[in-house]
Amino acid sequence: MTAASSEAVAGAVSPLGRAGRGPHFRRREKAWGYAFVAPALLLFAVMGVYTIAYGFTLSFARWNGFSPRWIWVGLENYIDLLGGSPVYGPPVRAAALNTLWVMIAVPLLTVAVSFPLAVILNSVTRLRTVLRSVYFIPYVTNGIAIYFAWQYIYEPNGAINGVLGALGLGSLQQPQGFLGNPATALPALIVVMVWTAVPVAMLLYLAGLQAIDPALLEAAKIDGAGWWRTNRSVVWPLLTGTTAIVVLLNLRDALQGFQVFLIATNGGPGDATNVLGLETYRLAFLSELAPTLGLASALGWMLFLVALVIALVNQRMLRRLR
Amino acid sequence: MTATLVDQPQAPVAPATPRRGSGGRAVARVVVGVLLAGYAVVSLYPFLWMVSAALKTREEIIGNTGLIPRSPTLATLVDTWDRLNFFGYFLNSVGVTFFTTLGVVVVYSAAAYAFAVIDFPGRTALYRLFLVLLFVPAAVTLLPIVLLENHLGILGGHFGLILPFVNGTAPLAILLLTNAFDAVPDELRDAARVDGAGEFRIFATIYVPLARPALVTIALLTAIPTWNEYLLTRVSLNDASAYTLPIALQALRSEQTIQYNTLMAGALIVVIPIIILFLSAQRYFVNGLVGAVKG
Repeated sequence: MTAASSEAVAGAVSPLGRAGRGPHFRRREKAWGYAFVAPALLLFAVMGVYTIAYGFTLSFARWNGFSPRWIWVGLENYIDLLGGSPVYGPPVRAAALNTLWVMIAVPLLTVAVSFPLAVILNSVTRLRTVLRSVYFIPYVTNGIAIYFAWQYIYEPNGAINGVLGALGLGSLQQPQGFLGNPATALPALIVVMVWTAVPVAMLLYLAGLQAIDPALLEAAKIDGAGWWRTNRSVVWPLLTGTTAIVVLLNLRDALQGFQVFLIATNGGPGDATNVLGLETYRLAFLSELAPTLGLASALGWMLFLVALVIALVNQRMLRRLR
Repeated sequence: MTATLVDQPQAPVAPATPRRGSGGRAVARVVVGVLLAGYAVVSLYPFLWMVSAALKTREEIIGNTGLIPRSPTLATLVDTWDRLNFFGYFLNSVGVTFFTTLGVVVVYSAAAYAFAVIDFPGRTALYRLFLVLLFVPAAVTLLPIVLLENHLGILGGHFGLILPFVNGTAPLAILLLTNAFDAVPDELRDAARVDGAGEFRIFATIYVPLARPALVTIALLTAIPTWNEYLLTRVSLNDASAYTLPIALQALRSEQTIQYNTLMAGALIVVIPIIILFLSAQRYFVNGLVGAVKG
């Protein structure tokens, strides 16, 4: 299972390998092929090609969104973002550092929570369906409504401080709230991101677990391997492909996603939770009349490139593992 | 879903001492129960507080910081629903979500069918193109979409949301559905052909019914984010009568000081419908995702 899925996610051809009719495509079949993809292509031509080409071209220009003409600046936007500009360089660097923390923490914690959770859930029969649905609620509700709820429980007199007080851990309480303190705001949002990422990861692991040949586990048991040994030395290596997908999806979200940052903290306090995705959004929509639209585009394309490289490396590593 | 359970926790570590083994088994069972229940609480935690705050009055939300409201009332919910015309926003959200989902299922089941079973030049390249789009960040296309729609005169309406939402779901939908159609045995298509069925009939009467779990899965994976969508909706809608629920909720937030009971009542109105939709389709959903990923 994991082989096919990871290949597919990483953009390989696995589901397409059915050719076999030689180089001579039958004409009728060819026509049907194009007819079936036509609506998707048409929509992509209207909504996709234009927006992507426009965004890409804009990344080489300076524009404020209102003036009639763009000023071509070549690679200047990219250079400015990579540190060439004293105005735009530093905030981008700070945002890059925060993004890096998110990219390390979110995939790692998501795997650390969802793999054991899936293994344990897979070992029980009673209530499994109910629990699976309950565990999936964070994904279903992922959006502005649940971010407001997190804000509420992170408040100075909110639920988390309340729980800490009740447990006698008053020293850990945050009098300004967890999102109000620059030191705790980023970790607090990482918790929210992991919380919303665990459901899909857990489902993927469950799918992987159910595809494992029971004979392998039986063999491990006969060899005297206990619960811990079996899972560490047999199950975990067998699910490498699933782990690769989970890590890839979360790296992409950590690199590019910014909704929770925009809504819950808007990058604050100060710039403590500003990330690259949010910085892109700010440069594009929140910089009033400053000519930063090209910069926004350039930053967006760099994020695309990094994500693509990560995906390719991911695929290469998987192939080597096999 | 069947009998392939991995029931390690029950496995006695030392079979030679049965009494200690069964004692260990009981302990293991308690530990498993506590862990599973614990994460259930974690999953529902913000949701519980949302419900709690929505049931509190204006006085109680300040005075009582506990989870359980002393005198629970539905007045805040009813008031939020009525005063803010949430029914109108609700209908807007339903419309946008429904047509986006319909569009995704129709357009990309056709495309995925072609990618999975039909031979045509450029197939691999097109398939790869759609998958690469998975990595284009939302932030980079947001602005061009707004400018383009402004040119086309569809900015600010629901149609202007549905088109980019459908297009944005292309990579995921094509990925999942191509895998699902690919899992259908070739022989079925060959047999139908011998019987004289055309390509469209084979697609509609054989492949679509067989791939129903995957279709329900992609429908949910489209409907859920669309229902909660905030970014593009926020930058493209101006007219308050066109607002969807997330934007209406945002507007609630912008009002003067934060009234958490009202805000959480609004939040509850946003999440309840999508939770109900998910629960009513989740049986297909899990199987569909598992099947689609297995490829």
